[in-house]
Amino acid sequence: MNEPSVAYRTVRTTAKVAGTFTVLFLVLLVGNLIGTTVIGPLREDRLAAMKVALRGGDPTDEQLAEIRQLDLQIRRNRVWRLDFAHKTGHALLASVVVLLVAGRLMRVLNRRPPQPQNALDVGAEQLREARVSRWAVTAGLVVLGGGAAMLVMVGAPLAFVAAEETGPAYASREDKRLQWHRFRGPDGAGVSIFTNIPTEWDGATGKGILWKAAVPLPGNNSPIIWNDRVFLSGATEQKQEVYCYDADLGRLLWTGDVPISPAAAQARIDPMEDTGYAASTMATDGKRVYAIFVTGDIAAFDFNGRRLWYKSLGVPDNAYGYASSLETHQDRVIVQYDQGHGDEDVSRLYALDGASGRVVWEVKRDVPNSWTSPVVVEIEGRLQLLTLTDPWALANDPADGAEIWRADCLGGDVAPSAIYAGGLVLAIEPYSHMVAIKPTGQGDVTKTHIAWTMDEGGPDVCCPVSDGQYAYLLESHGLIMCCRLADGEKVYEHDLRDNFTASPSLAGGRLYFLGMDGVMTIAEAGPEYKELGKNELGEKCHASPAFVDGRIYIRGLENLYCIGGAVAGDRAD
Amino acid sequence: MVRPRPILVALAALLVVGVAALGLERFPPPEFETDYVRPTTTAPNPPQGVWEYVDAGVLAVTLVLATVLVLRTRNRKLIFTLMLFCLAYFGFFRDGCVCPIGAIQNVTLTAFDPGYAIPLAVLIFFALPLVFTLFFGRVFCGAVCPLGAIQDAVLIHPVRVPRWLESGLRLIAYLYLGAGVLFAAMGAMFIICRYDPFVGFFRLSGNWEILVFGGCLLLIGMFVGRPYCRFLCPYGVILRQLSRLSRWRVTITPTDCIQCRLCEDACPFGAIRKPTEPWPDKEYKVARRRLAFLLVLLPVLIGAGGWGGYELRQWLALVHPEVRLAQRIYLEENALVEGTTDASDAFRALGRSSDELYAAATQLRDRFGLGGTLLGAFVGCVIGGKLLTLSVKRRRADYEPDPASCLACGRCYAYCPKEHERLKRGREGLIRH
Ligand code: SF4
Ligand code: SF4
Repeated sequence: MNEPSVAYRTVRTTAKVAGTFTVLFLVLLVGNLIGTTVIGPLREDRLAAMKVALRGGDPTDEQLAEIRQLDLQIRRNRVWRLDFAHKTGHALLASVVVLLVAGRLMRVLNRRPPQPQNALDVGAEQLREARVSRWAVTAGLVVLGGGAAMLVMVGAPLAFVAAEETGPAYASREDKRLQWHRFRGPDGAGVSIFTNIPTEWDGATGKGILWKAAVPLPGNNSPIIWNDRVFLSGATEQKQEVYCYDADLGRLLWTGDVPISPAAAQARIDPMEDTGYAASTMATDGKRVYAIFVTGDIAAFDFNGRRLWYKSLGVPDNAYGYASSLETHQDRVIVQYDQGHGDEDVSRLYALDGASGRVVWEVKRDVPNSWTSPVVVEIEGRLQLLTLTDPWALANDPADGAEIWRADCLGGDVAPSAIYAGGLVLAIEPYSHMVAIKPTGQGDVTKTHIAWTMDEGGPDVCCPVSDGQYAYLLESHGLIMCCRLADGEKVYEHDLRDNFTASPSLAGGRLYFLGMDGVMTIAEAGPEYKELGKNELGEKCHASPAFVDGRIYIRGLENLYCIGGAVAGDRAD
Repeated sequence: MVRPRPILVALAALLVVGVAALGLERFPPPEFETDYVRPTTTAPNPPQGVWEYVDAGVLAVTLVLATVLVLRTRNRKLIFTLMLFCLAYFGFFRDGCVCPIGAIQNVTLTAFDPGYAIPLAVLIFFALPLVFTLFFGRVFCGAVCPLGAIQDAVLIHPVRVPRWLESGLRLIAYLYLGAGVLFAAMGAMFIICRYDPFVGFFRLSGNWEILVFGGCLLLIGMFVGRPYCRFLCPYGVILRQLSRLSRWRVTITPTDCIQCRLCEDACPFGAIRKPTEPWPDKEYKVARRRLAFLLVLLPVLIGAGGWGGYELRQWLALVHPEVRLAQRIYLEENALVEGTTDASDAFRALGRSSDELYAAATQLRDRFGLGGTLLGAFVGCVIGGKLLTLSVKRRRADYEPDPASCLACGRCYAYCPKEHERLKRGREGLIRH
């Protein structure tokens, strides 16, 4: 090998020196960076802490002097570091330039004549090159397509326009009668128009049970049904989800995620165990489903699981945890948002646009927190939105929220919701009484429209159910009370010797009482208690079941059950 | 050959320079949560009167010089010197602005926004290199473009990038061009200027992210010749197509190719193509079928791209500041974020209603539906077209630069024995006279 030329050696040495300096300057810059990003902020934090400590107090001269001193130090240091970074940066640039020039020169001085390799099969090589290139372009296509597909699947990031694409359609009230679109079905009355509801099943043997499906997150809300879909929600402190199941197969079709709003996350809501994080039952207008959680976060999804919007109504100030269920009216979702103690002007009744989540109307209510759910019922050709709170039973116009009537008849922690039966609105004050109001008045009807008061107690959790002749009340420790609708007279009492949080329901002239142990007692409706049977599910149940066309959907603590036949049965109408 | 060592060295160095660029950060820029674009790198300088015309003049003169040096004088040293001058002038002295690459967006905006009047100098900057390329090949890239020059200057140890990788990576440039045009047409942003990787070096300041990006490109550029030009430059995409049509362009040999193969590895940008060999018979049949398939695939790709672009309209629309503001206001109004930003405060101070803002943003989103469709269709067309061009047989008798890829740097001349003959004859001629 030849000795490298003097010129080459000189350039090489230059390159080495420039390289060393480059590394040195880099190290200095990195050191400076660590100084600015790690040590600097530490001092600034100390300064900030000192300032906070002084706030409100009467600082001594020494303290002030210390703060000034530290402040000056920080400023000086920052300017010094900036200056240092600048100078070193320029020096680095210079050394890189020298390194580059030297590197180039080394290459020029050491240039070797071209030595073409032996030509292989050039034709084959070119064909191969083209083939591999086509694959590379195809790979690019796959990457681009995949990336785009992922973005499309992740969904619409624009909250304010996403919703309007689903169109304004909604199901009519007639359509809703054939479904179980909200808590306790049509009108929130707990009455199914279907007569073919099953009466026998057994969780242990699986008899009469069409399917059983695990529900990922816990929740005390009830399933709602629209055609071949079952919806319910579940939540923990960290997660809020909406589930859609196939009503025929029990397959989980999709899971919708409802982000926890920052305010709720910060508030760290801790509801009572009996309430849980997902107590409110969802509602649907036949096109979209809505869910609200204990956090006050509410969301809408289309039937394919695409989240249309979500928003926070503000963290509710609620003693046991927010639990009111949703109602729908046309393409609006109705939210009863009672909170606080009644004098802070925080309770509201909202109608939100189902497509966008925007507030269509809101009514301020001077009422404290409550746990009842709103119902929209038709009374003498006019729609009324009924809500119960302490102390009012209220009726508003669902179109614009205008108040129609109010009756001062309740008190305490109101939980059972209103029902409309036999021309009367029934309202219950737990442990105290039930009031029947004639809903035909205007303004304060306390003195004029109370038909009767039954004051032999009242359930604290379960809503009443009525067949138009009698009202059936179920207390949480198992006492059934049957009262005549005409005058409120108690007709019978029967003790089921079980505990209940699910409200009683009525289908095909039969009453269904679902106990917390999962035992469903079935009894005939009428002036006498006549038990038709008991069915055990084998799982604890807190939520009210749903009844649609030959089937009952029951939410256990962990599973969702469908009781009934594979083919939906005949209808009552 | 791809040699792994230099690439490893480059990767290690990337890390170091990334950190170093962090160290160079001055006072942190103000934290605008709404991606406020700092104007230093986005907008062309305000009109500076006579300077604009001086720049345009210098551009014209340097282009003429570059053409002469590349096509007539064929002298790499002089080309390199001119390139360094242009780097110093257009890059460091004139701060890398106006540049033809960014001018794509000004021209687009002129076409779509009647309220925007493009400065004459910008138009000249956009058009002149195109005209020269149409006649003489990419002489602008070879000697005049400051972005090309800064990369060319750092190239010390070129490694060969395999053709397939080059074909795949080049798609990025098309996508970038499409996105640049779309966002400019929508008045959303000048993305090409915003992510100009070298302007930070020219001005010795800028976002640290961009400085790191530029630093990385330069480091890669020490081993991979001109990575920005080959895989990213949106203007380069246009120049490639025009250069294919050019009447006069770079040839390796000044006379005829004797197939000595000495220039085979001469081009650091992989632009030299070998003479083609006839295909084996059975290949023709396969190729015909493939071609037919790809011809059918082309409209499918265009359609699918268009549909995909439409579906992405909401994401694309997010680039627009008005849409981002609407999103922010919505999130704030619905308590889905905490606090406010400077932009949302300013919006409220103006007293505009949020419904009005949503309506405007929704309208913009719809426009992005059309724009996204066109962008997607363009990308589909590019990919389909690329697959087609990779499937047709070319005929080449000699070693010659690919007119689209050749950056007219003049490096390969010296490799050709015929060139040496020419120079010798020239010298002898000089002596004789
Ligand atoms: S490809 Fe683009 S960046 Fe490179 S030299 Fe040409 S115009 Fe400049
Ligand atoms: S002039 Fe020669 S070396 Fe330079 S890019 Fe063109 S083919 Fe490559």
